[in-house]
Parts: sequence; C-alpha cells; structure tokens
Amino acid sequence: MKDWSYDTAKDHGVAPVERFRSTKREAGLISTLTHMATMSAMVGFFRTFHRMRVVDRGRFPLKPPFVVCANHSSHFDAIILAAAMPPQARAVAYAVAAGDVFFTTATSSVLSSLLVNALPLWRKKVTTHALEELRERLQEGHTGLILFPEGARSRDGGPLKFKPGIGMIIAGTSVPVVPCHIEGAFESMPPGAKIPRPYKITVRVGEPLTFETAERSRAGWESVSMGIRASIAAMSPKPWPAAAVEDQKVNGG
Amino acid sequence: MNELLDTSGMFESPVARWGAVAAGLALLVAPLLTVVLERLRLLGEKTRKDIWTRYFTWLVLAPVMIAAVLACPASAIAGVLLVSLLCYREFARATGLFRHLLMSVIVAGGIILTAWANLDNWYGLYVALPALVLTVLSAAAVLPDEPKGYLQRVSLAAVAFLLFGTGMNYLGLLANYPGYRPILMLLIACSQLSDIAAYCFGKAMGRRKLFPNTSPNKTLGGHVGAMIVIAPLAAFAGHIIFKDSPIDTPLRLAGLGLIIAAGAQLGDLVIGSIKRDIGIKDMGATLPGHGGFLDRFNSLLLIAPAAFHYINFFGGFDIPITRRHLFQQLLDVIGVGGAA
Repeated sequence: MKDWSYDTAKDHGVAPVERFRSTKREAGLISTLTHMATMSAMVGFFRTFHRMRVVDRGRFPLKPPFVVCANHSSHFDAIILAAAMPPQARAVAYAVAAGDVFFTTATSSVLSSLLVNALPLWRKKVTTHALEELRERLQEGHTGLILFPEGARSRDGGPLKFKPGIGMIIAGTSVPVVPCHIEGAFESMPPGAKIPRPYKITVRVGEPLTFETAERSRAGWESVSMGIRASIAAMSPKPWPAAAVEDQKVNGG
Repeated sequence: MNELLDTSGMFESPVARWGAVAAGLALLVAPLLTVVLERLRLLGEKTRKDIWTRYFTWLVLAPVMIAAVLACPASAIAGVLLVSLLCYREFARATGLFRHLLMSVIVAGGIILTAWANLDNWYGLYVALPALVLTVLSAAAVLPDEPKGYLQRVSLAAVAFLLFGTGMNYLGLLANYPGYRPILMLLIACSQLSDIAAYCFGKAMGRRKLFPNTSPNKTLGGHVGAMIVIAPLAAFAGHIIFKDSPIDTPLRLAGLGLIIAAGAQLGDLVIGSIKRDIGIKDMGATLPGHGGFLDRFNSLLLIAPAAFHYINFFGGFDIPITRRHLFQQLLDVIGVGGAA
C-alpha cells in the first residue's frame, strides 16, 4: 500500500486571531457557512435594490483555481463579483482586499474574513513575496481569487492604470483569468459614499484568458495586465481611453 | 429538563470536592514553585518561558473545565461537545479533510447529534449514530462524482467521527447518571496528570525510548513512572466513588486503574502517530504552550469509551446488558463474571 497524501491547511499553526490577518488563511466549515450566508443576503439585495444583471454568467469556472478581475470604483465591487458567481465558485473565492482598510483591527479582520472571505494585501508594502504567496496558493488548486488589477478605487468612475502585479501572480501559469466589467457600482456607491443609491448594476463576464506563455519578467507582467485591460475595456459600454492616458494619473489610496 | 440543569450535589462526592481543591492548589503552587526554580537558576530560558505560557493557559482552561464538569449535566455535555468539535476541526485542517465541505458538515452534524442523544439520555440513538453517520458519509461522498480519493475522504471522516464524536462524547453520556461528577473528574484529572507525570519522570530518569518513531521525546522511565502513579491513584479514587458497588473489589479496581493509566498514554501515542503520519509538530495553535486541543486532550480519547464500558460492564450504569448466553457462560467458566 502506498502512503496517503495529506494536504494540511496552509494556515496550520497560525495563532487563532492572527489567522484572520494572514494571507495563508484557508476558510473552514464555519467561515464558509458564514460568508455564503452573507453573500446570499447580498445577492438578494443586489437583485432587488440594484436590479443586478449578470451577462454570460456561464463563463465563470465552477472549480478552483481561477482569478476574477474587474474595473474598480467602489467598495461594492468585490461583493458584486462574488454575488455574480455561481455558488460553487463563490464558496472557494477569496476577495483580495486592502490590508490598510479592512484588516486594521482584530474585529475588522475577523468580520472581513467571516463575512466576505477577504484576504489581506498590504498596499504600502506590496512585495514580490506577497504576490508570490498568492501565486503559490492558486497553483495548489484550492483557491479562487477576486482581485482588482488597478489596485485602488477610481475616483471618477473611469479606469486607472492597470498595475503589473496581476501579471506577477499568473504569468506562466495555466490558471484561467475571468475578466469582468462592472457597470453601475460607481453610481451606486462611489468612494466616500456612506449609503448606497439604487442605481442599476450590470456585470459583464468575459471569456476566460490564460497566460501560460507569458514571460515572468517586467514586460511579461505588463503584457498580462494589458491583455486583461483590453478584454475589460472591450466590454465597457462607454469607450475607454488609450492605456497610456492612465499612466499620467496617480493611483491614490 | 430539570435533571439536566440540576446543580445540587456539585461537591457531594469527596473525589469531586478534593479534585477541585487539588486543582486550585496546583494553580497556586505551580507559579511559586516555578519562581523558586527560577531563583535557583535551575531552568533554562526556553523551559522557563514554556512553563509560564503553559501555566497561563491552564489558569484559564482548568477552572472552565472544572466548572463545566461540576455545574450540571447539561454544562458537562455541552463542554464535551465543544471540545470534540474543536478536536474535529483540528483533525480536519491537519489532514486536509476540511476542504471536502460536505464531509465536514456530516461529521460535525453527527457530533452534534451525538451530544443531543446525550442531552436526551437516548442511549439507543448514541449507539446507532456510528453506523448511521458512516452510511450517510459513504453515500454523500459519491455525489461529487470524484472516485479518486473516495476511500481516503470517507475513512478520514469515519475515523474522525468515531474518535472525536462517539469516543469522546462518552464523557457526556456519563453525565446522565447520578454521581457522574466524580467519575468525570477522575477521568479528566488522571488523563492530564498522566501527561505531567510522564513529563517529570521522563526528564528525571531514563534515556531508553519505547516508541522512538512515534514519540521520540518519551522515555521508558516516563511511561513506567506515569503508570506507577496513575494506576493506583485511579484505583483508589474508584474505590471511593464506587464504594459498596459490584466494581468495588481489588481486582476490578485494579483493572479500572490499568485501563485509565494505559489508555492515557496510548491516546497520547495515537495522536503522536497521526501527527507523524501527516508530518506536523502540533495539531493546532489554539492553546498557547500546549499546541491544539487535540494535543491537550489526546489522553482522554481512548479512556472515555474504555472506562465507560468497563464500569458499565460491572453494573456501574443502568444500561441493561442481558441475554448474553454464551459470553456469560464463558465468564463463569473462567471465574470472572459480570454484573448480570
């Protein structure tokens, strides 16, 4: 008989509260149930209050690993994408969220983890190491990620510069990236707003892309993020400016 | 309902009374002793820190455990349920079983049902659950249409349910019987003392290792020392608890002492084997200084079912054991004889 192969949780041995602030956190029974319950409520909210519509929902993969990317202009965005997915995908999808916003205290860390299944990314010091960890996680095959290549919310609803970080995570892997376009989130809940306004929200799901042949170099990473940008831009009902324009903008917090 | 919340007789038995007092004294004396050893510079920096972390965990854990055991049957059953769920959680995360959500839902549900059978004093459901949970597990594991790894998923879930659900919840089942408090105190205290005794004897004497592959830190001296302390202690406490009942004979009490003393060490080795098989050092990091709940309560895993059925066999509880035509004759022939 051959030995069994065990696949211990990545966060094994991390202290109880520290676990919620760790990029290694893997959701178990309780956090999966709590975040699925929260998300079911949010699906109901988006469908009624925002008349949310998902175009080409069937393009989401049902099994991990996968990455879902979109334009970013609202705190709603990550929840909108999770709500747009089929439940099987939602159960394994982690939203990569700003550590300096959602993980500042123990309470906020626990809530972000349990309610929306967020993973922290510390923006002030987004290191190759942190991105490498996400890359490894994806390759282990148990994880789906929701992330925003712009790295910050747009203050005018238009696109920001797509950063190369997404390329560092997936260049040279066979992990599918699902580009999505979110319309109406900025109008419903722009940065600074406290109460959502009942605008219509539409999520357009693009064909999954893979970047197996992309090089693991600056140029390769840029080509990945530009590829994703082009795919999202193509779905936008309002035409996006040329990518070079956003280089002038500063991506604020 | 009233029996479940009945707090009368908390300290009625001398074993429960003195057990609680001894635990309180130990929590007072241990820091003083540590300070003395520190002053005498007998402790290395690492050992010193380790002892203090462990002590502070005990300072919280021991009073909570004793209160849950002594307060009322419902609190004891709930406490055991909580520990068994936490043990399952650690096992599932260590083996990777937690990624099969459906398996986890069924095992956790089965553990909760087991505790519910305890609350309801429904022994029939308690003994039916292992077979029922396995039935549901093996059927549910088919549904994802992934035959690869099927046997591993179902086996891990079944072992987890038997060890942490059925096995450990015997401690909760006990709470349905009058006079359960001293018995629970005895089992829990002996399992914990066994660890401490093995640690002290192991440090003090003996270099020969009995299970070098499973538990390289344990020495023959530690194993033997713990047996010599725990077996008579358990037998003596058993004599007080079961005074004038069929189990109160020297031979039967010695058997109880042996079961508890050996069970504590074997339970420790069971979890040791699981950890070595997976390739991890601790089962978790929930209890600072100790590791996980499974690292702390490993010695109870085997004691709970073994001691329950041993005591019950000699009529300690009112679960009928009748119509054993062949077995009874066999026992009569060798001159042991049960209660029936």
